[in-house]
Amino acid sequence: MLTHKAKRRKLSPSPQIAQKAEQSNESKLNNYSKIARNEPSSMDGLARRKNIDRSAELALASGVYKSNLFKLQLDELLTESRPNYGKHVSKLQDILHKLKEVIEQIPERPPKPAIEAEKEIRNTHGIVVPYPEPLPGKDTKYTVSYNKPTNVNVVGSFVLRTGVRASEPYTVDLAVTMPNTVFQEKDYVNHRFFHKRAYYIACLASGIKEAGDINFDIKFAQQDGDSLRPLILLNPTDSTKSGSQSVRYQIRIFTAIEDKLFPIGRTLPMKNNVRQGSPDQSESCAPTPFYNAALRSEATVAPFHKLLYSTAQMCDSFRDACILGRIWLRQRGFGSSFQQGGFGGFEWTILMALLFEGGGFNGKPILLKSYSSYQLFKATIQFLAGKNLLNPLLLFASDIPSPTGTPTLYDGKRGLNILYKMSPWSYSLLRYEADIALRMLNESRDDNFDKVFIYKVNEPMLRFDRLITLPVSESGTILRTIRNHNVIYEVLKKALGDRAELIFLFSNGAEPWSVGKKFSHKSTSATIQIGLNLHPENAMRVVDHGPFAEQKDEAAAFRSFWGEKAELRRFRDGTIRESLVWSDQLPSPSIVYQLLVYILHRHFNYAEDEISYIGDEFDEKLRNSEDGIPLYSSPAFQLVTDAFNSLERSFQSLEEVPLTVRQLALASPLGRYSALRVQSSGLIRDPVDIVLQFESSSRWPDDLVAIQMTKVAFLIKIGDSLVSSGAASSCKVGLENESSRTLNNAFLDISHTSGVIFRMRIHHDREQLLLERQLKEKETSLRAKQEAAYNLSAYKRLFIQSPRLTQAIRTLCTRFPSLSPTIRLVKHWFACHLFTGYVNEEVIELVVAKVFTQPYPWDTPSSVMVGFLRTLHFLARWDWQQDPLIVDLGGELNQDTLEAIHTRFSGWRRIDPAMNTVALFVASDIDPDGVTWTQHEMPPKVVAARMSMLAKGAVKLVQANGLALDVSDLFQTSLAPYDFIVKLRTEHLHDRSTSLLKYKNLNGLDSQGQTANLKVVGPFVRDLQACFGPNVLFFHGDENCDMLAGVWNPQTAKPKSWSLKLTYSSSPSTGGPTKKDDEVTINRDAIFNEISRLGSGLVDSIEVFGTK
Amino acid sequence: MGKDLEIAGYTVLPLQLPPAESKRVKPATHYLYLRPHEPRIPDADTPRSLFVVNVPIDTTELHLRHLFGTQLAAGRVERVDFEDVPTKKKGGMATAHSMTTNVSRSKKRKRVTADDLQNQLDDVALPSTWDGELQKSGAHAVVVFVDKPSMEASLKAAKKAGRKKEGEIVWGQGIEDRLPQLGLQRYLNHEQARYPPRAELLRTVNDFMTVFEAVAEARRKEQALRTQEPDEDGFITVTSGPKLTSVAHEDEARELIEKQKQKSKGLEDFYRFQSREKRKERQNELLKKFDEDKKKLQEMKRRKGKIRPE
Repeated sequence: MLTHKAKRRKLSPSPQIAQKAEQSNESKLNNYSKIARNEPSSMDGLARRKNIDRSAELALASGVYKSNLFKLQLDELLTESRPNYGKHVSKLQDILHKLKEVIEQIPERPPKPAIEAEKEIRNTHGIVVPYPEPLPGKDTKYTVSYNKPTNVNVVGSFVLRTGVRASEPYTVDLAVTMPNTVFQEKDYVNHRFFHKRAYYIACLASGIKEAGDINFDIKFAQQDGDSLRPLILLNPTDSTKSGSQSVRYQIRIFTAIEDKLFPIGRTLPMKNNVRQGSPDQSESCAPTPFYNAALRSEATVAPFHKLLYSTAQMCDSFRDACILGRIWLRQRGFGSSFQQGGFGGFEWTILMALLFEGGGFNGKPILLKSYSSYQLFKATIQFLAGKNLLNPLLLFASDIPSPTGTPTLYDGKRGLNILYKMSPWSYSLLRYEADIALRMLNESRDDNFDKVFIYKVNEPMLRFDRLITLPVSESGTILRTIRNHNVIYEVLKKALGDRAELIFLFSNGAEPWSVGKKFSHKSTSATIQIGLNLHPENAMRVVDHGPFAEQKDEAAAFRSFWGEKAELRRFRDGTIRESLVWSDQLPSPSIVYQLLVYILHRHFNYAEDEISYIGDEFDEKLRNSEDGIPLYSSPAFQLVTDAFNSLERSFQSLEEVPLTVRQLALASPLGRYSALRVQSSGLIRDPVDIVLQFESSSRWPDDLVAIQMTKVAFLIKIGDSLVSSGAASSCKVGLENESSRTLNNAFLDISHTSGVIFRMRIHHDREQLLLERQLKEKETSLRAKQEAAYNLSAYKRLFIQSPRLTQAIRTLCTRFPSLSPTIRLVKHWFACHLFTGYVNEEVIELVVAKVFTQPYPWDTPSSVMVGFLRTLHFLARWDWQQDPLIVDLGGELNQDTLEAIHTRFSGWRRIDPAMNTVALFVASDIDPDGVTWTQHEMPPKVVAARMSMLAKGAVKLVQANGLALDVSDLFQTSLAPYDFIVKLRTEHLHDRSTSLLKYKNLNGLDSQGQTANLKVVGPFVRDLQACFGPNVLFFHGDENCDMLAGVWNPQTAKPKSWSLKLTYSSSPSTGGPTKKDDEVTINRDAIFNEISRLGSGLVDSIEVFGTK
Repeated sequence: MGKDLEIAGYTVLPLQLPPAESKRVKPATHYLYLRPHEPRIPDADTPRSLFVVNVPIDTTELHLRHLFGTQLAAGRVERVDFEDVPTKKKGGMATAHSMTTNVSRSKKRKRVTADDLQNQLDDVALPSTWDGELQKSGAHAVVVFVDKPSMEASLKAAKKAGRKKEGEIVWGQGIEDRLPQLGLQRYLNHEQARYPPRAELLRTVNDFMTVFEAVAEARRKEQALRTQEPDEDGFITVTSGPKLTSVAHEDEARELIEKQKQKSKGLEDFYRFQSREKRKERQNELLKKFDEDKKKLQEMKRRKGKIRPE
């Protein structure tokens, strides 16, 4: 298929191939207008490309891209993202020409000492020269001056057409090449170059300001957040034109110097150019890589532009690949400035251009010009993810020493490390993101297009496990900022060790400032934010082991780092080591927090109240509202597992039961670490559901009712036998599903000797066969068929899916330590918003499991906070009307299963387009049916919509508040949308029900107050729902919730003519003669009366909102 | 209101509901709608029956007996048939019934004894766990009186009561202690009744199994008898053993297909035209998929708008 493509290329040569980038010494303005002229022909080529033979397109689609749909989406994205250059050019051409003229006419200024020159320009033009710190003093000997620029060029993404359409104004870069006459030989040392440059910029600004006919708002800004290099930012002020329709843009004017002005050798990464003492001192001082590179990058403006231009000419898809790269970076918050990570669209473009020439094994190029844009993008991502640039990569050069710990990709031809603005942390984040992106692109099952390009990934709350904000006294110079950041990073890295997998520091760059003012750094960058990704298990380690006592030097270093926190301890294995002991006893805060507060105080003298920190609140929320069980490995869950194992053993030795046991399986949230509440007063509070299956036998009756009866007999028998063998302290058979004779009718409550109560049901697979046969039988009545279908789904849920899901979630919980607490926190969220009766626990578990097993575009959550917030994020985005939720539980979700699930989903939507029985569709690799937990209005459409709405609201709240978020806001539900609230009398319900139960002398199984409460409120709500069915929706939370919220079906609000089909209590309309005689209205007062009588002793009051 | 309260041919009978314990619940009036019963297929009881619509959710037979017998003092109620809601119970019986028809193919010739036994079997049920059933809001019931005059008198009395000031009659007044309890106690009782005594359960199961076996035995006999009995034309249908069910047939067919597939394996690319055809097919397949994907994209664009990074 590649050959096919090559052929096509020969047939339709790129229309711009003839153009050569030889105009380096003439003004690029001409160049860009030339391109503008070429516009129609390139459009022509595009059209031709679209018309090519379909089979060729097909071949292209199936081979070179990930999948057809991916390719189509990619094309669409590219078309959408290309700025409308024709419009831009026509609008900007005149302005740029005018600007150029203005700049060329600025009068020369003779050399003067820096301070004097500054005074002059301030007095005559009202412009403060943006000298970078350290400001030139009185004793500076060198002079500053202005001469006509050698060159004024438009450079960057505008000319190269590699830019992306975005919400922010489009930036056009204008490079002014300063003449060599302004500088002296040794100007590269001690900021001399930058002072002269700042003066030059100020002169340009004054010239533009004086030229009256240009309507611009002139400001100074920092080039890529670099305080050494201020630039001029022009924003159009003409309000008449800048309506919504016009092109929004801004012009940046910065300087360049000629390539040969300063020798490359002076600005190599390991050279020192900022000297404390006399300028002639030896070069033994510490290297100043950032300073050098900032200086050098002034000289590389033209060469890089040339490189990019020729690359774009050589490779058709280069521009598109640049767009893709820019989008990918922007969605992850990367930008060119140091504060944004130092790797933006420009760096991406350069990197790709360089990879066309080398970078691979044996210096071979990584990218080929025959690649498609997608291939270029992927290969570049692959390069970023795979190549560790902390080991310097030198292109076209050798033996260039470079500093350790920072990434280096040294371009020998241009003499610049293109990653010079990257810090160790931003580089590790970039690689981390590239690695995720690569995994997404390599996944064959899902196309992940949205996740690579569309999703906004840089919301810190969704990205990091813990966030810290520190106030910093900003120094105002980039060099010092870098140093400060580095120190903090190093300390945190050392202190956290393997507790943290990723540490990322970020801050805001300086805002543009008015040319008439001094740059004030007080307002800018007052804080630095730190994001941590934790290792879920290491993060909670109580004791840190330091060096052994015998290792004197290491021990001393350890002590000096940790101060009085370090203790010498003798451990159980006899070794004596330096160590740190943290407290994990409540109510002390989390260990990570203790550690951070301690170390930040010790090394940077931060007081605890200066540090704002978020992340632990979610764990605390869980702990406070529940039983303080953070992890799946907590003893309470362990108790259940142990009791189950022991019960399983006793079943194997069960003798008095005539059939042999095939399998005993857990089928309860308690058994899969996902129950919200586990214990109350030391006991496992709810019965643990288990399912027993016998070896098949022909002695079972062939009749559904008789099977239920036989089960009762078996249960009694098993109970007797368990009690007599001593495995259980007592057993009793309970009844359920009284209304049907064919649903499972009975269960056995086993009080195990460990205190755990198991609720056992017998699984008999013949039932399924009989039910299915009934469904197929022709003479069965419709109602009987419905009944059979209902029973069959109940059977599958109870006996097949529940044990399977339990097994799957159990496995996942041990694989992902934060899964269990996240599930439970999300369950708490659902309960707080009164969804308990409408959303099955299993649905919640599946949704959270999806966030963990298919975490893209992020990595697997490693804390409760991100797990929880990403679950909400998912719920907010999930368009459940159109998309099924497909969860990969066991890693066995393949293309066939996916297809089958999609078919079923569209089938359901076809037979039930109004979504009256199935609103949410939740399938997994172990349950392709997809409706097991959501059929029969679990939840109804209205409730599902409310769920989406609440999740959207929560995500919005998180994004708006950021670190200032009060976590409990997420769990507070508004009662405004409900029509009435039934307040329950819970306080004395507990005591009363307990005393009543005691009085009735039940065997102590359920003498727990809360449990009884649950057992009373649950059936009460079910009764209400059965009685008032489709006309009132009752919302309620879990047992801690003391109210029911009700909503009338809006259809009941209007008076209706009397008919037998009214399913609510009504009263004759009393509207008078205008009303028709036979109309009735809903009798709400009577219904309230019925509710409160049905719940007498339970209902405290009924509060009715509004008068609809 | 002086005139008859009537709506769509129904007499309206206002009832005062007993006051609720809870706070902020206003006293409420409930309305019953009454009419002589007129079913599509009348039976012997129809003339003395009254059709009552919109019964309160806690209605029991006792409530209605008390209402017509004591509160309106007009007629004695023989029994009450509540609305035939498609409850699981009814459905369950139907299922049980259809199950038995599977066993005996022809219903016509069933012996009376087998049906009797079947009915007996349906009556054997596990003990109930609720004190009283609830009615759905707005449900109806048929009240059968001892005779027609009682029914007519009751209707008259209801009309009269409706004409009076509202709220004369209080629902269930005077029989409070004989009604099943509502509220907390109802649920506590249920909680207790869910675990019936072991002996009762065992007895139910044994009863059931005895009758069940009797039914099975009776059906077997019927079956045996039928194989020997000549039909109207004097023929005896000869049957040999149990027939294969349709499920088994399907399985067999599937196996056959599988076998054939196995046989032709490895021969797909034998002829050139085969591989050519295959290639063509694959290409068509790809084209089709491409079109599908295009449609999908259109659909996506329609739903979510333009494809643009957030």
